[in-house]
Amino acid sequence: MNKEDIISSGLLELYALGLSSPEETLQVEAWVKHFPELKKEIEEIEMSLETYAQSNAIEPSAEVKNKIFASISTSQQGNIRSIDAIKNNTAQAKIYRIPSSFKFAAAAAIILLIGSIAFNYFYYSKYQSLNSELQVAQNKIEQERQANLAMKTDINVMSDKNALPVVLNGTPHAPDALAKIYWMKNTGQVYVDPSNLPATPEGKQYQLWAIVDGKPVDAGMITTEKGIYHIQKMKSFGHAQAFAITLEKTGGSSTPTMDEMYVIAKI
Amino acid sequence: MAEIKKYSEEELIHLLKNRDQPAFAYLYDNYSAALFGVIFKMLEDRELAEDVLQEAFIKIWNNFSNYDSLKGRLFTWMMNLTRNLTIDTIRSKGYKKQSKIQNSENSVDNISNNSNTAESFDALGIRKHLTLLKNDQKQIIDLAYFGGFTQEEISNQLGIPLGTVKTRMRTAIFELRKVLRN
Repeated sequence: MNKEDIISSGLLELYALGLSSPEETLQVEAWVKHFPELKKEIEEIEMSLETYAQSNAIEPSAEVKNKIFASISTSQQGNIRSIDAIKNNTAQAKIYRIPSSFKFAAAAAIILLIGSIAFNYFYYSKYQSLNSELQVAQNKIEQERQANLAMKTDINVMSDKNALPVVLNGTPHAPDALAKIYWMKNTGQVYVDPSNLPATPEGKQYQLWAIVDGKPVDAGMITTEKGIYHIQKMKSFGHAQAFAITLEKTGGSSTPTMDEMYVIAKI
Repeated sequence: MAEIKKYSEEELIHLLKNRDQPAFAYLYDNYSAALFGVIFKMLEDRELAEDVLQEAFIKIWNNFSNYDSLKGRLFTWMMNLTRNLTIDTIRSKGYKKQSKIQNSENSVDNISNNSNTAESFDALGIRKHLTLLKNDQKQIIDLAYFGGFTQEEISNQLGIPLGTVKTRMRTAIFELRKVLRN
């Protein structure tokens, strides 16, 4: 509906007369929001009706006004009295206002303190747990770094152009056992890879021997701790005819126990 | 009755929202006769009409916070409040008995020529202008304003369709506006 249709509908007149239905009233109020000019139109209608009412005015008797004002004045006095009562109450309350504000301040301080303690505790325990997590992470990185370093060393040994790999095969005593030696031809350094030796029993350790001029010479103890087998450096030999590994008591023996020979290789 | 306006409508509303008694006295002096005219024509009983007027003004005073200037002028709000209160009185059981007694005394013509009519407002002859209104136009406004009738009741009373009530009311008030502008 456009503005002109609304104005000519006659609904605005009924609205101003208070004769529109509840739905029509809502409709008119919505229209007024949409077209603010309608407000002026309605106002003109209202003013013409107001003038019409004034022209039909009848003076009521003077006592009506007196009755009305007597009625509203008594209810007004009641209000004034209650306002006075409120004022008196607040005046009395003022005496206690200072201590009560201290109470509030104290309560607030306690609440803040408790809050602060709770925060401290919370952050301290958070700090601690983060710290221990950090430690764990750092340890893990260190382990990884060492494992990485060991692997790098292994690869360096294996890929050295001077390295002579020697495979030590299992003896009839331990047919599945196997070990490898990398013998550096330029420096005589000996490295052993014991990864394929069986696990050592309690109190025993593998010992490497070099056979030099027909005699077994101690070439060092092989570490197999914690189950980590990686290539390890042994004693150096300028020449040797064979290498063998025997199982000996922890710390090693001066002569090999021939019954406990696991692997051997002739050069 | 105060001829000289002391307050603008905005000032008056502001003061009344703050329960200002002098403003309320001003409101009464300026509008009570217009409202009383409506009540009296609807009830046709002076004493009862004065009771309703009193009740209406006390309600205006007490419920002034309900008045919303966005929805209409102050007088419109007071008029609708007063008219509703008068209709409630008409519909109450006590009234019906009285109206039968009073009916013979007060016809509509009787009221319009009533000697109690406030003369001060009409100094410049607004009522004379109103004689320019056609009878059927005056009739429909009077039915709505002084009869307290609903749209449906007016439609029945005049024997015209409901839609025609709207258009005829529009024409009548349009004429009223034209007459008053002169």
